Amino acid sequence: MIQKKVCMVGVQGTGKTSMVQRFVHSLFSERYLSTVGVKIDRKVISVAGDEVNLLLWDIEGRSQEQEVPTSYIRGAHAVLYVADGTRRTTFEQLPQLRDLVRSTVGDVPSLVALNKADLAEQWALTRGDEAALPDAGLHHVRTSAKTGAGVEDAFHWLAKEVLRADPSRR
Amino acid sequence: MQTRADADVPALAPPRLDYYGASHVGKVRERNEDHFAIMALQHSARLLLTNLDDTGMVQRLSRPDAHVFMAADGVGGLAGGEEASRLAVGTIMEYLSEAASCYRGTDVGQEQEFMDRLSAGVERAHRRLIETYGAERGPATTLTMVTLVWPRAYVVHVGDSRGYVLRRGRLRQFTADQTMGDLYVNIGRGSEEQAEKLGLYNILSSAVGTDMAPVVGVVDLEPDDVLLVCTDGLTNHVPDARITELLAAAPDAESACRELVDAALAGGGRDNVTVIVARFAPASG
Repeated sequence: MIQKKVCMVGVQGTGKTSMVQRFVHSLFSERYLSTVGVKIDRKVISVAGDEVNLLLWDIEGRSQEQEVPTSYIRGAHAVLYVADGTRRTTFEQLPQLRDLVRSTVGDVPSLVALNKADLAEQWALTRGDEAALPDAGLHHVRTSAKTGAGVEDAFHWLAKEVLRADPSRR
Repeated sequence: MQTRADADVPALAPPRLDYYGASHVGKVRERNEDHFAIMALQHSARLLLTNLDDTGMVQRLSRPDAHVFMAADGVGGLAGGEEASRLAVGTIMEYLSEAASCYRGTDVGQEQEFMDRLSAGVERAHRRLIETYGAERGPATTLTMVTLVWPRAYVVHVGDSRGYVLRRGRLRQFTADQTMGDLYVNIGRGSEEQAEKLGLYNILSSAVGTDMAPVVGVVDLEPDDVLLVCTDGLTNHVPDARITELLAAAPDAESACRELVDAALAGGGRDNVTVIVARFAPASG
């Protein structure tokens, strides 16, 4: 079976673990427990008739005092950046995170999840912010780990792109 | 008190490894239902004769590839819990000695295969417990296993024993307790206070030998980090702040283990207590 490592990258508290929980276990918890190191889950999905085993590396969120260790990102076939749409700073840190990822694994298929879309009244991003993402070559999806909106789409889009980018399949 | 050794860990500028493990029955229980093991995994050629002058290579060949630190806390009353943790630790040791050739490198597939083997050891222990005692109401055990291929620590975790890393004075728990209390709060059924009042933190939601949902993870360690694997006989009696102080102040892993066990006993000692400490001091010379 095709096996691909997908890294979840983002600032602390953006909902990376919740997105994986929703995608893999169809669960959501309001309780926040910060990840230490990496939690690894997996899910087999079907993409255009191919079974793909996604190895989901939920990497501890970057905080002010701690960088995301690049050692966790090594070997990634895809990256799912997660920003909290209600906290603008988590969005503003994406370019830095992307530079770090690119310097480690190059240009792998990537997607930005603008998470917590259920909190529409607290949404802190402008249309201009979102419009800037395609210009930077980043596909994005509004997601809510709480309701599940956009979560399946995000992982499936990424899996499809990973297969498309796989030179052994051309 | 058992097990003492010092060794060099291989790979990239490895630090000097100092480790120790200790287990105590406590002040109330008649039996110690905790078991622990520290193993070195070696999967290498043994040099018998050569005219090579690369002594470094000879050294590398004789070093262990990985170290495994595991603690298990049996549950099930009478002799069941004791047997469950003994069987689980023994089965995993047996499995790893047969099957765990060591992963080294950056290939994602090989690394995943290595992690799958570690998980398979836990799965085998789970199956053996069920075969021995049946699937319903048989004894069960927690299991926290950390396999170190410096600098990466691979974690397989079931139940409410714990793994921590002390880094630059900050103690961080890298395992999440699998109890009915945690599950109750996580799925939004009620508060921590309600879960406490209902006694749900005393019931495992996942255990080797019953319903098991192992969690797999990795933590990359740094020189000067201190690794702690322990059963809840420590964490129910000694707050994190005190654990931090004791780990930071101890001159070596053995002293740290003794201090932690003493603190658990001083805190009540109502349960068995097991601790494993590994320290990674920068290599000298």
